[in-house]
Amino acid sequence: MFAVPAVLLLFERKWRFVLAFFSVYLAAALGFDYLKTMDVGRVGSLAVSTMMVVSHMMPITIVLYYVMMSTKVNEFLAAMARMHVPTKLTIPLTVMIRFFPTVFDEARAIGHAMRMRGIRLFSLHTLKNPFSILEYRLVPLLVSITKIGDELSIAAVTRGLSPETRRSCVATIGFHVQDVIVFVYCMAVVACLVIASRAKQSIVDIISALFS
Amino acid sequence: MNITLKNVSFSYSDSLDDAVIKDLNLEIRSGECVILAGESGCGKTTISKMINGLIPHYHSGTMGGDVLLGDKNTADMTLAEISRYVGSVFQNPRSQFFNIDTDSEIAFGCENQGMPREEILQRVEGVVKEFRLEHLMGRNIFHLSGGEKQKIACASVAATGPEIFVLDEPSANLDLKSVADLTEIVARWKKAGKTVVVVEHRIHYLRKIADRICYVKDGRIAYEWTPAELEAKGAEYAANLGLRCVNLEQLKEMGDARLRGYDKKGVVASRDTAKQSLNETILFTDLHFAYNRKFPILDIPTLTLPRSQITALIGHNGAGKSTLAQVLCGLCGRWRQKRKARKYGTYLIMQDVNHQLFTESVLEEVLLGMRPQNEKAALEILAGLNLEQYAYEHPMALSGGQKQRVAIGSGVSSGRDIVVFDEPTSGLDYRQMLAVSATLQKLAASGKTLLVITHDPEFILNCCSNIIRMEHGKIAEQYPLQGNQDKLIESMLNV
Repeated sequence: MFAVPAVLLLFERKWRFVLAFFSVYLAAALGFDYLKTMDVGRVGSLAVSTMMVVSHMMPITIVLYYVMMSTKVNEFLAAMARMHVPTKLTIPLTVMIRFFPTVFDEARAIGHAMRMRGIRLFSLHTLKNPFSILEYRLVPLLVSITKIGDELSIAAVTRGLSPETRRSCVATIGFHVQDVIVFVYCMAVVACLVIASRAKQSIVDIISALFS
Repeated sequence: MNITLKNVSFSYSDSLDDAVIKDLNLEIRSGECVILAGESGCGKTTISKMINGLIPHYHSGTMGGDVLLGDKNTADMTLAEISRYVGSVFQNPRSQFFNIDTDSEIAFGCENQGMPREEILQRVEGVVKEFRLEHLMGRNIFHLSGGEKQKIACASVAATGPEIFVLDEPSANLDLKSVADLTEIVARWKKAGKTVVVVEHRIHYLRKIADRICYVKDGRIAYEWTPAELEAKGAEYAANLGLRCVNLEQLKEMGDARLRGYDKKGVVASRDTAKQSLNETILFTDLHFAYNRKFPILDIPTLTLPRSQITALIGHNGAGKSTLAQVLCGLCGRWRQKRKARKYGTYLIMQDVNHQLFTESVLEEVLLGMRPQNEKAALEILAGLNLEQYAYEHPMALSGGQKQRVAIGSGVSSGRDIVVFDEPTSGLDYRQMLAVSATLQKLAASGKTLLVITHDPEFILNCCSNIIRMEHGKIAEQYPLQGNQDKLIESMLNV
């Protein structure tokens, strides 16, 4: 499954990003596969479970990243309208697309402020109060993003975004060959996984592990 | 299209007893440009929200009276309908965009109205040409400067062709060059016969365009002038009403009267101590930063700051002022540079102070960076900033000015000698600006060295003693303010 977002990201020229994530993913997946049957002790099992989470969650996060990065708000709205998804659902989703980059922007500024205050991830202070670091990060972030969220919705409603009116769209969207290829590939992988779990055959297991 | 406000009252709570707007009447004729001026919290923004329909459709509260656009009552229209007649531009350029790229943003309003695709493309093209935005098309909104963002905001509102424009402190975060562009945009709208309502306490950039200035006080319109009438009353008069200077040229003649409305005792004392250490300077070397080696953003071999004084850092957007501040504070640059910066002991007060307040109480905020922690000393620092009565309050519950002082307190407590401010007075009215200026002067008098990034000429004349002007990542010139007031204003106006 990792292949889909990786290839799509390559189209967006994110070579380094793909390489970094692919190696982390591969290391985690192989490590987990190799170690899962061994007795590794308490610390080891923590590492193994981390590997499992990384190898399972990473493809999903990468897909999410790709969607956030490459989808324009108006294209998304138009595509959803074409699929007859109600606007009551799509408008909150678009706000989310717009929201994530803002959150990262804010988080970076807060990180700067923390560094200047000498608050680091690993220090005597944070070792004594491990939750304080979470609080320092989250309190200013929450305050500023609630304010920004409010201002964003004001900007949207004063520009006439509303569930009642029908929107038009400048962008041309459609379902093309590329989409068919991606769709078929995903279906095939899912089918492989289903067969593998049914038959529990080791060969299919290996093949699907390679592609997943 | 006329705007009529008839006996309007509004309160953000359930009863009209604590109304923000009290029985207000205002008639704005078609094609007029009206400024709603007044101090922060006087209700001028609330009036603008009544015109663009956010009241009563978005903000909850109690409203009395009628707001008419032409002959239609806004209470009977939906926000989507109102948005066809009224276009709104807001103060904060960072959060008024719904799209991530400039093209879609300009088309956004038209799309919401369901215009056909060809017409939208035509309108976008027209607006881009009119506002000369060719170089900004296809860009990521997050990579634009404040002035560029505000231009895109104006263009995207103009694309739908509303009859009325409502601008809420549009100049608050802009440098004087971007403000001049804004003047041009408003002038163009007025010429096209549009009705423009601007909420502002900076009037200078609209003094040749505006027909009327309505001064709002305690939810009522207290005075009405033409810009010429207000200008004739003099700078002192405007300052007493909390308004910023009507004509920047007037600032030149002010000389020593520039400390109007402020207790001069403390300042004179601080000047004396400043004189003693006049010749002492702090030297920074090798301040460089670049994303790409061929195009350095910052290239300063040496920078000298006079000790225990306030130095203003000016220059237009993108000249590298903020980068300089970040490099000085060790927030960007190479690892070695950062380690060196930590030795300088610089502290940055950010433009958005919300980013740097982390803890649950004001006292804790000051204690956090203190080594060793000493509650008594922390309380003393707070007393120096007039914050002792808030020591146990949550920082986020304070007002903007108080938050800024808490951030200053945390910088002082961490024992840094140099404090850098990033636009501490953006969006402040005259009285608030004086308060900030007083705090800064006190800080300098206590021996701290201050560097202030600012676009605010009134503020510089009020408290700074030295000027550094940056251009293309380099220091273009450095001079003392004394005797150079004219030069400063000229260079700020002609950026």
